[in-house]
Amino acid sequence: MKEVAVIGAGMTLFRRHLKETGKELSFLATKMAMEDAGIQKDDIDMVVMGSAPDAFDGIHMKGENLLDGAAATNKPYVRVFNGGGTGVFAPIAGWWHVASGVADVCLVVCEEKMGNCYPHPQTAFRHIWDPILDRPLNPNLVWLFAMEMNRYMTVHNIKKEDIALVSVKNKRNAVGHPSAQLADPNITVEDVLNSEVMAWPVQRLDISPPSDGAAALIFCNKDVVHKFTDDPIYVAGTGWSIDSTMWTNRDLYFPRYVAQAAKMAYKKAGILNPPKDIDFAEPYDPFDYKELHHMEGLLLCKKGEAPILTREGVTQRDGDLPICPSGGLLGVGNPIAATMGQKVCELYWQLAGKAGKRQIPGDPRVGVGQAWGDIMQMATVMVLRRG
Amino acid sequence: MEEKKKDWPPYAPGTHLRESDIRDKKITYTWWEPEVQYAWSLGPAMSKFLKGLKEGKIYGIHCKRCKRIITPPRMFCEYCYGPTEEWVDLPDTGIIETFSISYLDPDARRIEDPILVGVVDLDGTPPHHGFMHYFGEMTKDEIKIGMKVKAVWKPENEREGSITDIKYFKPYKGGGD
Amino acid sequence: MTFTEKQTDPTSEMHWLGDMQADYFYPNGIAGDKFFKHLKENDSFLATKCKKCSKVLFPARLYCEDCFTEIPGENWIEVPASGKIRLFTIAKLDAHGEKMKEPKIMALIDIEKTNGSILGVINSNDYEKDFSGVQVQAVLRPKANREGTLKDILYWE
Repeated sequence: MKEVAVIGAGMTLFRRHLKETGKELSFLATKMAMEDAGIQKDDIDMVVMGSAPDAFDGIHMKGENLLDGAAATNKPYVRVFNGGGTGVFAPIAGWWHVASGVADVCLVVCEEKMGNCYPHPQTAFRHIWDPILDRPLNPNLVWLFAMEMNRYMTVHNIKKEDIALVSVKNKRNAVGHPSAQLADPNITVEDVLNSEVMAWPVQRLDISPPSDGAAALIFCNKDVVHKFTDDPIYVAGTGWSIDSTMWTNRDLYFPRYVAQAAKMAYKKAGILNPPKDIDFAEPYDPFDYKELHHMEGLLLCKKGEAPILTREGVTQRDGDLPICPSGGLLGVGNPIAATMGQKVCELYWQLAGKAGKRQIPGDPRVGVGQAWGDIMQMATVMVLRRG
Repeated sequence: MEEKKKDWPPYAPGTHLRESDIRDKKITYTWWEPEVQYAWSLGPAMSKFLKGLKEGKIYGIHCKRCKRIITPPRMFCEYCYGPTEEWVDLPDTGIIETFSISYLDPDARRIEDPILVGVVDLDGTPPHHGFMHYFGEMTKDEIKIGMKVKAVWKPENEREGSITDIKYFKPYKGGGD
Repeated sequence: MTFTEKQTDPTSEMHWLGDMQADYFYPNGIAGDKFFKHLKENDSFLATKCKKCSKVLFPARLYCEDCFTEIPGENWIEVPASGKIRLFTIAKLDAHGEKMKEPKIMALIDIEKTNGSILGVINSNDYEKDFSGVQVQAVLRPKANREGTLKDILYWE
């Protein structure tokens, strides 16, 4: 297996609606990543596209529709998708292409236009539910998260105030991120606790917004990386795992599939003690409680300990274990697959010292990114290391 | 080649579109209303489960290898990947595994009186095994994880062979486990 | 029933009927918006010329997919709303597979002065004719009724 390095990344604006078509967004993100890496279209051997259900953009087989914006015309091309997990799974697929030796340089593009589903992407989300057992009850997707959040809070006896701290941290962290949709330097815990109750315990400011956006990442083989940089950022480990769709037959308080994916990635990366060996993390945070849930799943702390670390400031950008320094989905936006921009692209920018206002102090050398998808099922994990 | 220590992303390309731009037709767009209809096959396990609901019964199925009785029933156990065997008549009681108090109705419109929904861990199955349903005859302050509940069925002539043949689960004080 | 049970009653399997309901709003995009806004006011098309490979892209695009470069504003050119038919077919079934009252002649039209083409309906009842290579002109909706979508082109003749 070849060693794989990241040499460039790009990301568009994230907003509820963007004027660009999906192809144009893919083009803008890809162009920026190519500029970062200093390469041209002909330097790219293969392309991976990550994009969540066709039902958002409203174009069946949208992988094929998007490819010309992803510099993939007349190239080996594949589209991967596993719901929200795509944000880290697409980079994993890009990594396979290079690690296996079939490509020297592989471009990964993720794009989403949730705004095309009118008037709200909830309409498409309604079709996630089992048509026979769940849909006759007319469920709303927020119910599902509310049920998981309730279970997590009850088992560990967690107060909403501690969970709201995550939303405050991430929306403040997003200030200064050029793509950020919901950055807010002044948000407080009271604002979150006073926001409209959607489905208790979920309130409006606990949730990340649906967005349009795209992100791109470029991988290359260690043998050729010297052409692009003297300080490469390597993929140290990858892991992925999925649990059963029968979500009513599992205890939702702990995401065991995240732990499985994390163990797979840490084994490859030689990480024996995650809280000590990992310098910062970007777990998936579509809801504030999910950051805590995933921190525990990533084995960064004991079960039930994540809210305590948050309360003590350990997860702030200048803390001992910064979590979501990009501002995460809560601060920057949630265009499903394009969240690769906050998860893996951010790991690369932080490790390469390019994160600008978001830069973590000190000398971070190892970061872990994670995405989560489908019906509380899919976990994808990637560890990046400098040098 | 010089090292680029510039901050990245340097800017965020993309053009923000406001709801008012769409409403006031400041941009051109194409509108599409697809019509897609489906007839989902139920399969043998789900067919029997729904028939059972019509008769006022909740069926589970036994995976002997994993020693668990599963509901909703399926033809094979997803843990050991072997065929399931033996149908089991389950009681229509259980405990609340988790719940939510929703102020959004199914069309995401706000409502004053919340809907209580959650997962029922059915008696007769291993812990954390059940299905999603509504809760009724209790207030949002009374609902609790671990509360004992019992199904309230539609009258026999109104049942159709659907999960909605059970109207909701209500608090249940009597009976042992 | 499981893999170990025999199926003896073919009518016992039921179906669950339903639909997938959603409405879609597709913004025409940066290039598309410019193209259709032009079509609203004029009886001609816009195309974009790639400065690297000199291909004239139609419908107008923000970027050239082969050279992967952005096309600047000054490379937008106006072209006539006419061209030659490259391929055609006589469609007898509609989008749902139902027989149409009258067949439609669908064609792929190469737009003149560009390297691109567009799908369109030919306004003709002559189902025996060979339309290959025939020069056609777009017939547009009256300006007051144009909305900025493909439907502003009524048909070709």
